[in-house]
Amino acid sequence: MRFEKYFVPETRQECFALLEQYGDKAKVLAGGTDVIQLLKSGALKPEAVIDIRKVEGISETKITDQGLALGAMVRLRELSLNEALATDYPVIMEAAGHVSSMQIRSMATIGGNVCNASPSADAVQGLILMNATAVIESAGGNREIPIAQFFTGPGKTVLKKGELLVGFTIPKPSARTGAFYEKFSIRGDTDITIVGAGASVTLAEDGTVSGAVVSLASVAPTPLRMDAVEKMLVGKKLTPELIDQAAQAASKSVAPITDQRASAGYRVEMVYVWTKSALTKALERAIA
Amino acid sequence: MNTLIGKGEKRIDAYDKVTGKGMFASDFFSRAAKMPQMRLLTSPHAHAKILRLDVSRAENMPGVIKIITSKEPGVDWDQFPKPAYLAQDRVIWAGQVIALVLAETREIAEEAIGAIEIEYEVYPHVLNYDEAMEPNPKAVVDPEYETRAAGFSDRPGDRASDRKSPNVVGAFKLNTGDVDRALKESDIVIEHNYFTGKKTANPLETATAVCEYSPDGTLTMTSNGAGVHGVIKQTLCRVLGLKQSKLRCIQPYQGGSFGSRLNPFIEVLTALMASRAKCGVACSYTRKESFTTGPSNWPCYTTVKLGAKKDGTIIANDFTLGEEIGACINNSFFSGRLSSSGVAPCYRFPNTRMDTFAVATNTVPAAEYRGLGCPETEFGIECVINELADGLGISPVEIRLKNILDPGDLNIYGEPIRSTGLKKCLQSVADAIGVDEKPVQDMGVWKKGRGCAVGGKQNTPLGRAEAKVWFNCDGTIELFTSVDEMGMGATTTMAQICANEMGVRMEDVKLTNSDTAITPYDNYSASSRATYTAGNAVIIACDDLKRKLKEEVAREFGMHPSKVEIQGTTAILKGAALESVSIPSLFKGWTPFSQNNWGLKIGSPVEGVGIFCPAPVQMWDKDGRSPRIWNWFQYSAAAIEVAVNEETGQVQVLRVASSSDTGNPINPDIIRGQTIGGVHMAIGFALNEEHLYDENGMISNANLSDYRLPTILDMPLKENVHDFINPDSLPDGPYGAKGMAESVTVPVAPAIQEAIYQAVGVRINGYPMTAERVLAAIKEKKQKEAAR
Amino acid sequence: MSNRIDVALTINGRLHNLNVRPDLTLAETLRDELNLTGTKIGCDDSNCGVCTVLLDGMAVKSCAMLVGQADGREITTIEGLETGDGLHPLQQAFIDYFAVQCGFCTPGMILTAKAILDENPKATEEDIREGLHGNLCRCTGYVQIVEAIESVRDGKYGEARA
Repeated sequence: MRFEKYFVPETRQECFALLEQYGDKAKVLAGGTDVIQLLKSGALKPEAVIDIRKVEGISETKITDQGLALGAMVRLRELSLNEALATDYPVIMEAAGHVSSMQIRSMATIGGNVCNASPSADAVQGLILMNATAVIESAGGNREIPIAQFFTGPGKTVLKKGELLVGFTIPKPSARTGAFYEKFSIRGDTDITIVGAGASVTLAEDGTVSGAVVSLASVAPTPLRMDAVEKMLVGKKLTPELIDQAAQAASKSVAPITDQRASAGYRVEMVYVWTKSALTKALERAIA
Repeated sequence: MNTLIGKGEKRIDAYDKVTGKGMFASDFFSRAAKMPQMRLLTSPHAHAKILRLDVSRAENMPGVIKIITSKEPGVDWDQFPKPAYLAQDRVIWAGQVIALVLAETREIAEEAIGAIEIEYEVYPHVLNYDEAMEPNPKAVVDPEYETRAAGFSDRPGDRASDRKSPNVVGAFKLNTGDVDRALKESDIVIEHNYFTGKKTANPLETATAVCEYSPDGTLTMTSNGAGVHGVIKQTLCRVLGLKQSKLRCIQPYQGGSFGSRLNPFIEVLTALMASRAKCGVACSYTRKESFTTGPSNWPCYTTVKLGAKKDGTIIANDFTLGEEIGACINNSFFSGRLSSSGVAPCYRFPNTRMDTFAVATNTVPAAEYRGLGCPETEFGIECVINELADGLGISPVEIRLKNILDPGDLNIYGEPIRSTGLKKCLQSVADAIGVDEKPVQDMGVWKKGRGCAVGGKQNTPLGRAEAKVWFNCDGTIELFTSVDEMGMGATTTMAQICANEMGVRMEDVKLTNSDTAITPYDNYSASSRATYTAGNAVIIACDDLKRKLKEEVAREFGMHPSKVEIQGTTAILKGAALESVSIPSLFKGWTPFSQNNWGLKIGSPVEGVGIFCPAPVQMWDKDGRSPRIWNWFQYSAAAIEVAVNEETGQVQVLRVASSSDTGNPINPDIIRGQTIGGVHMAIGFALNEEHLYDENGMISNANLSDYRLPTILDMPLKENVHDFINPDSLPDGPYGAKGMAESVTVPVAPAIQEAIYQAVGVRINGYPMTAERVLAAIKEKKQKEAAR
Repeated sequence: MSNRIDVALTINGRLHNLNVRPDLTLAETLRDELNLTGTKIGCDDSNCGVCTVLLDGMAVKSCAMLVGQADGREITTIEGLETGDGLHPLQQAFIDYFAVQCGFCTPGMILTAKAILDENPKATEEDIREGLHGNLCRCTGYVQIVEAIESVRDGKYGEARA
């Protein structure tokens, strides 16, 4: 057996109790599209699988004046097609829509994409660009942390024993904010991302950058937020020259690995190309 | 009487397949879930000595039935196909099978594999052609190299003393005309080295075998391997010493093959286990095993040197080729002769020297894959011809038209070309894409370019095909063949030929295929020969049936058979009072009181049989020449427009035209599918597909996420896909038809190579032309230009 | 076995109450437990798409979900498309347009096509390509598959039955 026990808790309390009881021997299953691969290959051999699809209150998308609340169980396809997000959160939709195929997105969830903690995760990038906060609950209480700090290594997160990621809160973006995520892969979205580059810029009334997020996928053990590059942009006018400098700085500061998808050198070059493109398109959206 | 030939008759297997009712080997495997399951222990190292192998703990686990290792008594491993050769004292590729474990369930078998104790001493390995070809390589792959260093008597020119490395394990040479003089007389000479990637065919159904065991020792093998008679049954009988009468091989629908199922590895291992454990055995490879345990194609490394006169006439061809054949034990197959046959089909090449050889490496063993090394060989030739055209300032179409063989011409072996429509193929694709015109550059960093190429592929005259056809008492026809229905539509083509010959409708013909207890002999469907060999056998069988029907009808009416004509289910009686008669009406029934057992009898069909074998090869001389070394040649041309991203090196095929000389087509709609499918597959060859390795020499992209098979997005929009048939009738083909499915793939990669050059000015001398390789070439070019 | 689970699957309109191992994928359950072998398995990592089925009308890869995840839901497999009235228009179109070769990808391809057209009856060629790009086909080069789907979209087979 790939695992012995299968639970489908319907309340958070039930879920927390199972998480407490089984600890490391339990694996939480959201959409399952990543977890099941690990179960089938034998890379993961939990005693219990906790399917959280029926847990109350974690499958909703709520839009308020303050922002967006996403439940962990929101399916990526639902997210990518939710037209209500098109005005303020298009990058959330687009990044979710870049995850693999239609069939996979029908099952895969935003919480699952985050908890799988792959550096190449596309939907995660949408959350990072929009300054999302992860909402973590356990029997002992709740905590919230910025999404970029959620990851500690490939497949590793800050979640502790007994904790469940229940969703995300995303502040409504300020006026004159634009964000764009570029997924670079060879065969479209079914390919695992070779390099992902995202940018979000908020412009002050004078047209200078008042806030920026630059984030990369597949170039480090975790999704990578480029603080130094962001600092280069703030307070300045985002000219093509500055975009080029920022892209070069991003490219110079990464140390990716060579794997079966691309060489390290190629990834470095692609960081330049796609960071430039993401910043350019983010700026276009900020102006529009 | 040609009412069905050349028509797009619907496939006879389509209903089964669109409803999910058609049974594949893997479906029999699912239904055999309660049968004992076999799993494989395979090597994690490319080259290692096995210091210790202890299966005792695994053998004693509850539910484990039997474990077989190379120490199994009474097995002649040297007879085994390479992907089924169990490691002896050392493993020679990562993925080689070390032990077979049979258990009551798949899970128990997998647990038992984990319980096998094994220790290795890791040896250095050679993973590619260059490493293997060093005079003192890090590894000598073939464990039996020392015992066979004398070379092979059946290969003129293959002498051990000539071998550049102990990993060279076979050679073939050809010499015609005077190459050195022709090179001196040439106005332009271009020479380059070319590489091609190591690929896995990846039919979507993995290798699967279900072997039932009867108490008398009879095995019934249901599998998706090719050639139930010629390959599977004969291999199992030879290798395992089975009696012909004690083995039945059945092939349900095959989930693709592309040649890769010609090596009967899973059948050999499964039948070995069944005959030793004396019980049924089911086994199915994982996708990873399909990559790592094999087989793969064989990549070719070529040095192509062509010399031409100013007017584009190519007069010199100095050609060197190494086939990288993987972990080869006791090679008796590879010599470079098969791959280098790609030099022959298309061009005159009056002065040609070929020096070809086979090279072993510590990688998965090579076997057949769509084109038998010809796409890999012809890539370099087509690329050099495109460069010659550029160098001489003439069109790539014109230079080819000047050098393409015409019917009646002799090729490099001295064989006459009997049929070729290649010139028309080339012109049709060049016109469709506008190869001689420059595209408008309107896509920013994506630069467009166009290119064309041609290709040919020999048909290996190995075929013997038989067919049996029945005329039933109700006028229905039953046809029995053993073609491999791997998806190409061979069974439909056979039914179509049969219906046409018998003058009945398609739906009146029922085909039973590929069951050695029922259907007649066929070697196997490969080298694009099913239509040709089995098609001819069906025609012969129908002739035989009609002759017998004439005799039966003539006897009923006291006539000479020559006065009877068969038209469908009607017999025309020439010169008789009754002008015609329904043949089914002549079949008599049976009752307990009047036993009408003479003549045509209800329930007893009239049977015709047909056997077709092409004329044999004539052994080649010391220069590699022969008036008949191959049979006929199939041809294809392609023209392609690509866009290349200057910043990323990505290549997108925007438009493609492909044309084939198929001889007279039997079913143009089926050919269309083979043409477009072949182009799509070859786009994968050209742009993405190759094995990559980790530090242990294990394939690191042995899955469908990282091994980049082309998807629908790699194909242009359908309005930009053009396919043509430009037939030149084959004199001895059924209705003038010949095969076509391999040559389609040949010109795609070189046409893309030229189109990339036209787009961004770089030539990638090998494939896959990955984004990384294209970008590296663009950067190198820019650096050179900056340095100037 | 105590750790089996009860699941209720409505497959092709018929309710199946099963007591199964929870670690089976839906694909394994359909094939090995229910003999619905029209749903194929072709890879180790949910990439090839031959296992595609419809789950409450959505195309999903049945090798990438556990049987328990389908509990209480409606599943359509290729075996469910043909009715007493004959083949589904997509099935007939795949025959007529020679969109079938080896046939191993065909069930998943047809079901994915159904999901595409059910959701967007006016799907363009680009929409169809986007929808099908998780379904590998090694034989056809896809052109005849797209032609078959477009013929159904364009009403050549009358109103497509749901």
